[in-house]
Parts: sequence; C-alpha cells; structure tokens
Amino acid sequence: MSNAPAEEKPTEDIDLAPANHVIDKYLTLPGNLMPVLQGIQEEYGYVPRPTIDLVAERLNVYPSQIYGVLTFYAQFHLKPRGRFIIRVCVGTACHVQGAPRIVETFFDKLGIGHAETTPDLRFTFEKVACLGACGMAPLAMVNDSTYGSMTVQKVGEIIADYNQRPMKK
Amino acid sequence: MVNLTIDDKQVTVPKDATIYDAAKAAGIRIPILCHDKKLHPFGGCRMCLVEVEQMKGRQIPACTTPVTEGMIVRTMTDEIIQARKMVLELLLLKHPIDCPVCDAAGDCDLQNLTYEYKVNGNRFQDEKFQHKIDYENPLIERDMNRCIHCGKCARICDEIVSFGAYTFINRGIEAKIGTEFDGPLNCEFCGSCVSVCPVGALISRPFKFKARWWALNKVKSVCSYCGTGCQLTLGVKDDKVLTTIYDENQGFHNGQLCTRGRFGYQFINSDKRLTTPLVRKNGSLQPATWDEALGLVAAKLAEEKNAGGKTVAGLATPRLTNEELFLFKKLFRDGLGSDNVDHSAGYAHAALTAGAAESFGGTASPATVADIQASNLLLVVKTDAYETHPVLGFEINLGVKRKDIDLRVLSDKRGKLSKLPKAVTYVHKPGQEVALVNALAQVILAENLQDATASGIDGFDALKQQLDAFAPEKVAAACGLDADTIKTLARDYAKAAKALIILPLGLGYPGHGKALAQALANLALLTGKVGKEGCGVLYLGEKNNSQGAADLGLFPTAGGADADAILAGCQNGSIKTLIVAGENPVVSYPDRKKIEAALDKVEFLVVQDLFLTETAAKAHVVLPVCSFAEKNGTYTSVGRAVQRVNQAIKPVGDARSDFAILNGLLAGLTGNAPYADTTAVFAEIAATVPAYAGLTMAGLGETGAILPATIKPRFVAVEAAAIPAESGKFALVTGSALYHCGTMSRFGEGPMYVCPEGYVELCRDDAQALNVKEGEAVVVKSAAGELKLKVKVGARMPQGVVFAPYHFGEASVNSIAVGAPVTWVSISK
Repeated sequence: MSNAPAEEKPTEDIDLAPANHVIDKYLTLPGNLMPVLQGIQEEYGYVPRPTIDLVAERLNVYPSQIYGVLTFYAQFHLKPRGRFIIRVCVGTACHVQGAPRIVETFFDKLGIGHAETTPDLRFTFEKVACLGACGMAPLAMVNDSTYGSMTVQKVGEIIADYNQRPMKK
Repeated sequence: MVNLTIDDKQVTVPKDATIYDAAKAAGIRIPILCHDKKLHPFGGCRMCLVEVEQMKGRQIPACTTPVTEGMIVRTMTDEIIQARKMVLELLLLKHPIDCPVCDAAGDCDLQNLTYEYKVNGNRFQDEKFQHKIDYENPLIERDMNRCIHCGKCARICDEIVSFGAYTFINRGIEAKIGTEFDGPLNCEFCGSCVSVCPVGALISRPFKFKARWWALNKVKSVCSYCGTGCQLTLGVKDDKVLTTIYDENQGFHNGQLCTRGRFGYQFINSDKRLTTPLVRKNGSLQPATWDEALGLVAAKLAEEKNAGGKTVAGLATPRLTNEELFLFKKLFRDGLGSDNVDHSAGYAHAALTAGAAESFGGTASPATVADIQASNLLLVVKTDAYETHPVLGFEINLGVKRKDIDLRVLSDKRGKLSKLPKAVTYVHKPGQEVALVNALAQVILAENLQDATASGIDGFDALKQQLDAFAPEKVAAACGLDADTIKTLARDYAKAAKALIILPLGLGYPGHGKALAQALANLALLTGKVGKEGCGVLYLGEKNNSQGAADLGLFPTAGGADADAILAGCQNGSIKTLIVAGENPVVSYPDRKKIEAALDKVEFLVVQDLFLTETAAKAHVVLPVCSFAEKNGTYTSVGRAVQRVNQAIKPVGDARSDFAILNGLLAGLTGNAPYADTTAVFAEIAATVPAYAGLTMAGLGETGAILPATIKPRFVAVEAAAIPAESGKFALVTGSALYHCGTMSRFGEGPMYVCPEGYVELCRDDAQALNVKEGEAVVVKSAAGELKLKVKVGARMPQGVVFAPYHFGEASVNSIAVGAPVTWVSISK
C-alpha cells in the first residue's frame, strides 16, 4: 500500500471474464494457484499481466509470489504465444542427423530465434532437448503433429502449409 | 525435554528445539547466514552443517534439524570446517567481493565468516552476476549481484511485514530475489529486508557512503514517533545521527522498525532545525540571545503569576520526555498557580484521560503489548491500527499467522489487516463505531453471554437499560451491517477464551474519543475479558509519550481550561499568555481557521520547537529545543512500558532541551533551586505518581519496565452521536498515513520521499464516476472550506467514503475538517 505513484503498467486490454471463470472453478480448492494459472494459460495461450493482479486479489496471494511461480516453471508463458508452436528436437540423435541445419532454416524462414514469436502471432519457435522419438530423427513438431526425418526442403513445405491454416482454433 | 550432547557438553532443551537452538542454549556458536530467530527455519545456506554421530557422520543443517534424545552432535570437526569453507568458496564465486565500497563491510556476515574461516583463495572460477542495480526508490538500494540467496528478505516481508514484495524468481543459476515482474521495489519501505540482509545486497540509501560501520558510535534509545515505543540503536558519528542500526535483541519487537523509525531520523540533523532563539521585533522574528528570549518569557510569566495565573495557559506535546512533561505541569501548577494545561488530550487522547479514567479507574490501557500474541481473538477498531502503529501491526500479523489468532476488524474501510488469513472485516458506515459497539454489548446481554462478574460491577443495571435502544435490528440500517452479522461478531467475541480489543487514537481520529473508549470498555467488562493475559483493551496512544502525558496529568485536573477552551480563551482575550511546547495546533488540531485566528490574537505566544512550524511562525518568542537524540529521559508507551532515552549527540546549534528551559523558568518563578538532572525529576515522579512508585532511572536499564495497572471497573452508558448524512456528498474520514506520525515526520527525509504531500483516497467506482485518475488534483469542499488534493485510487475505500491523512502543513486537512468524526464533502475536478 505504498503512497508512491503507481508504476505505469503496460496496459493490456483483455477480457477478464475467462480468468474469473477459472478462478471461480478452483476458488475453494486448497493449493489452487497452479491449476488456476494453468487454466488461465489454457484460456489465453499465455498468462497476461492483468490476470496476475486479478489472481493476486482474488486468491489473496502476493503478486510477487505468483510471478515467482510463473518464472520457476517452464510451462508458463508471460508473453503471447503463436497459434502454431514449432518445436525442433536438438537431442543427441537428432543433432547427429543434422538438427542444427533444420533449426537454422526455421530461423531464416520465420525471421525469429529460439523461444520467439512472429509479430503476427502465427508461429512460436522452440528448440527442445528431446522429444522422445529418436527413431524418427531429425524430428520436428507443430502443435500436436509430428514430422519425422526432417529435411531443409520440408521446412519450407511445413511453413507454407501452416501459413494456409486459419488463425482461429 | 530432550537431552543431548553437543561438543561433549550435556544440553537439555524443549523437544521442539533444533540443534541450532540447543547449541545456542549451551553457549556454542554455530555459524549461520540464512537463519534468523524471528523467521521460520529455511536451511538454505548450509553454513550451519554439523555432524550427528547417530547419522553415521553425515553432515546435516543444525537450523532445521530437530533434536532427539541422546543425540551426539559435533559442530567443529575438520570435515565440518572443510564443508563450511567450501560453502563460502561457492558463495564467493558469484559475489563481487567489492567490500571497499560496500556499506555492509564490517557488519557483513559473509565477510566476517570468510575472515573467520580464512577463505583466502578459491578453487573454482566462474563469471560474476550482471544484474542491474535497482536505484529506483530513494530508500532501499538493491544490488542483486551481492545477494547470497538466503531468502531472509523475502521471508521477513512475508512472515512479519505481510507485504510480500520479494520472492525468488526464475530457476537454477538464473534464480534471484526479485519483485513482481522483476520491476523496481514499490512497497511500504519499512526496511525490514535491509535490516536482515546478511550482506550488502540491500542497503539503506540515505546512509550510503556516509560512514563505515565500525566508525559509528552506537547509542540505544527509543523511537520518538508513534506510541509503540520501539527501541532503536542510533548510529552516530561526529555529532550527527547517520542511521539506525538493527539489533535483533532489542525490545518486544526484536529490532523490527517501520519506515518512520528506520528512515525518518533525518529530522534530528535537518538543515531546517532552529539553532537560535527568535524574538518578534517590529512584526518579524529576529535572532536573539537566550538571555534576551528567556528574559522576556520569565518577565511575562512573573506578571501572569502575580495576576493569579488565570490568564496563562500551556499546550505541551506528548513527544516530550516524562521529566519534561512533569516540569511543564509543575511550572503551571506550582510556578504559576494555573491548571490551564493540556496536551492534545481533549482532541486525541480523551479515550485515555477521560474514557479509561472512568471505566477502568486509571488513565492507562488495562492490557500490554504482550497480550496481542497471547490472545485468541483480536477485535481491532479501524484497520488504521496498522498505519498508526506499524510495528504493533507486525505483532498482529505474527499473531494471526503463527498463532492462529482470529482477527475481527471493525472499520469504515478495508486495509492491510483485512488481507490477513482468517481476518474478517466488518465495513460499517463512517462514524458509527459507538452504535455498533453498543449493539455488540446488547447482543451479549440479550443472549446471556456475559460473564458472571459483570452484574457486580457498578453501573450494570443502568447500562442494561440503556442498551435496549441499541438492539442490532435498530442500529443495523444506520451502521450499514445487517443484524445477523452484528450478532455473529458479538458471539465470536464473547465466546473467545481470550480476546483483546485494540483502538488506535490520535489527532486524525476525532471519533475515537471518550465515548468509543467506554463503549469498548463496557464490552470487555461485560464478558470478563479484563485483567487477564491476552484480554483487555489496548488504547494505542498516538505519540511516543502519549501514555506518559496521561500518567503525569498533562490535562486540566482541577477545573482548568483544556485545549479547546484555551484556544477559545486566546480568541476572546481571557488567555493572554500561551506557552506551546512542541505542539503544532495550526496543522494538527481541528479547524485551522479558528486556531489561526486564536493564535493571532493571543497577547504573548511562546513556542518551544525543533522547527519553525506553522504555529512557531506566529509566536512572539521562539525557543529552539533538542530532539530525542540530544537528551536523556524516559518515555511511556502503549501498554505502559517506561523506557529510557539516551543522549546520542550534543544539542544542535544553540538549542537547549525543554528540560533545561522549563527547569530554569520553574526555579525562577518558585525561588527553589533547579533540579540537578533528569534523574532527580524521575525520582520525584516515582515519589508522586503512584504508577511509577519504586522505579529509578538506573533501575529501568536497557529494557525498561511495565507499569502496573490497578483496575477499578465501572460501566458507563454511552450514547452514540448521531451522524447526519448529507445526500450526494462524500463522507470524509481523516487519519494517519502509514509513513507519517503527527507533523514531525514531515522533517524526516524518508517519510517525505515516500509520501510527500496530502491526498484524498477514494474507490475505483467513485473515481470513475468523477472521471479522475490517480495523481490528478481535485477540489474537496466542506462547509468549513475547500482544499486542493491529489487523488489516490485504491481498493480500500467503500463507495461514498473518502480518506485524507492529516500530517501536512500545506493543504492541511484541518482546514476542511473541524473535529467531527465524519465531514461531508463534495469533490470536483
């Protein structure tokens, strides 16, 4: 309750109704912070800042602690994510099968780096340590679809394919 | 109890003790970095590793391991020393080791342990952290490069302060202590985190580069802001108070302080201090010698004495020491033959001087600070108890969170206390406290929940009869709470095994006077919750020595004029000479216009003050006095604790203590020899004031003493003053801002950095309806006048109720609020 002027928060105009709905669902559950945050990420694709203040107020948890939880777990995202999450395996098997070149090609074609999102919010690209399908190396995934035996040519085809798909789920 | 052996020494400790506690009890020191006696064990730093024979020589942390029967512990084997050395090497790997420019040097646990364990090299190599240093706020500098991740700051902010500014953010090697969104710190600035930081990661900015820790002279004293009576240690060098030093063994509060105590000391060596007497010549105040100034005052007082003492009056601040207040009263009573003496009693402390005096037979609370944590249920009137007495707020936090004490808050707004787990806040309409408390008492009687002793107390039948008018159903609408809610609260209070009522007082709370104090006293007496551990009513006097002023009778006790009558007397000419010692009525008493007119009119006005306040500017003679750091004496705080104030520095400029001034004037008027020193006056207090009987200055020592309270209970039926509502207007309630206390904190840099000016706080809906945003100026207009104030928007206020703090000289809220519990105002852009 500082009297210092409130720090200018970047305003994100979002509808808080889905977040309120998630909180309502778990309000009386002990240890409800994780499911609430997961539910909010499910709704918005990431955890928007205004929802953190809302959760803090409604669950009576310090906003700092919520931020601590969000930054501890890799599963939470604080920035909007793309409609399509491209994940390329850089584990041992994929690495020896040429994964680095696949990664470079995605970087070139999408114009973004690791853990970044295209400005149109269509793609998010991530390198991951292992996807657990070494037999299909080198391996890429787009959301839940798997693409084995990746080649540089296939990268262009995949991007072209997903560029055609609708942004709405 | 459990028996164990530590380093061949037999130790017997309670079974919930840890190895660390047991070792401490046996006088064996185990090094620690992340452990703090006030916090839950953490076990993060691994400095306290010890070996336990039964655990096959494994190294285990002493701070988190509970003792077991027959345990054989070794704290200093070669392996343990090796392990501790490695812990230090690993910590030093990332630490910048910039001790020459670090303010913590000399007081740094990491530095001291590195020295102790002779870690003069490092087998490891790594890059240092490159965290950005947070210079965004003026009080606390955060250099996370120096942080050793002990987590004490985050834990103290959560466990004791309950603000939760910090947490561990990120993971693995990237983990660090951060704030919400890793932004700049924006909190209460109590500095608790700075006090527990074992290194220089969190330091006090006002003290930065001022002095090396070992060059400071450490003087123990008592904080001179609010009535809590926190002990503090002043860091002094070259006759300047440069900082306050944390000592975890000081006081009931274990060294905890608030913003005022920790960062508000700068008023002592402020450039604005008066250093020479001033005398009004040709309409303006001119520097004068002490002989000239005191000569004028003495001559005038001699005249007044000869005139019979009817036309002289005095107002003294409860910030003075007991000895000074005693001399002030004596000057008037014995020197001048006058009873026209008051502190802000009539306005701020009638709860003690009139309320408690009648209900409990004495001007003190029948409870002490220790009762807070010993209770089962706390009934706090106004969440502002946290703002007025923050360190007592910490006690409430600890009680509620650690001891599972129920908290019921009766308030006209929500606040920090409302956020505590298990806290239930009953937000009522402003000014309805007395009606509500009477309703609670009525429920207790109606449902036969009273204690067997109640009917034997004087005034029981009259009270019972009078309370009929306050049945919950009858007052519910006016209070804004439904009857069932009131009944539930009454039952909770009555049925709690031990319950304590807490009532903050002060110039900002004109409704917290005699009537409310007595209504609450009735409640406690009805349920037999007085005079037992964890029970009673704790009246929180506003200033550092409010309790002392009440004890020493600094109010009319023989039919003299009180503050209100004195000021009226100045206005109508019946008071010709007024001595004001430290009070600043122009800003702090209700109705500024009236007070200014009265002070302009009085023939001879003497003001003793540290600063040229708004009141001093109107004086004919101004005498510069000493702050608490420049004098010896005693203060009596909330819960009747008498503690010693010790001189830390020489008087600033030509200032003289109020003690010296009053002592001289008194001797001059009576012809008696002046008192030798404060000890002599304290001896006379002990001899003449029953509560202080048997005490000696030397006997108080460092810890002080708790005065006894003899309770002579009596029920006093009190009526609730009607609060006429004005439709279409906002209800303005006044009070204290968290960072301020009275008008003195305006001269402390710390509080002024954080809260530099008055404001009006309103809820989001009202702000939206008025189309105003945080920080915008609005005009607040009452029947008495209008003010321009900045807007603060928050979740605290209910719709239609606005809050303004009273401390500020410019745009002072007493120019629109004239002493009613609620002021009806209109607000426009």
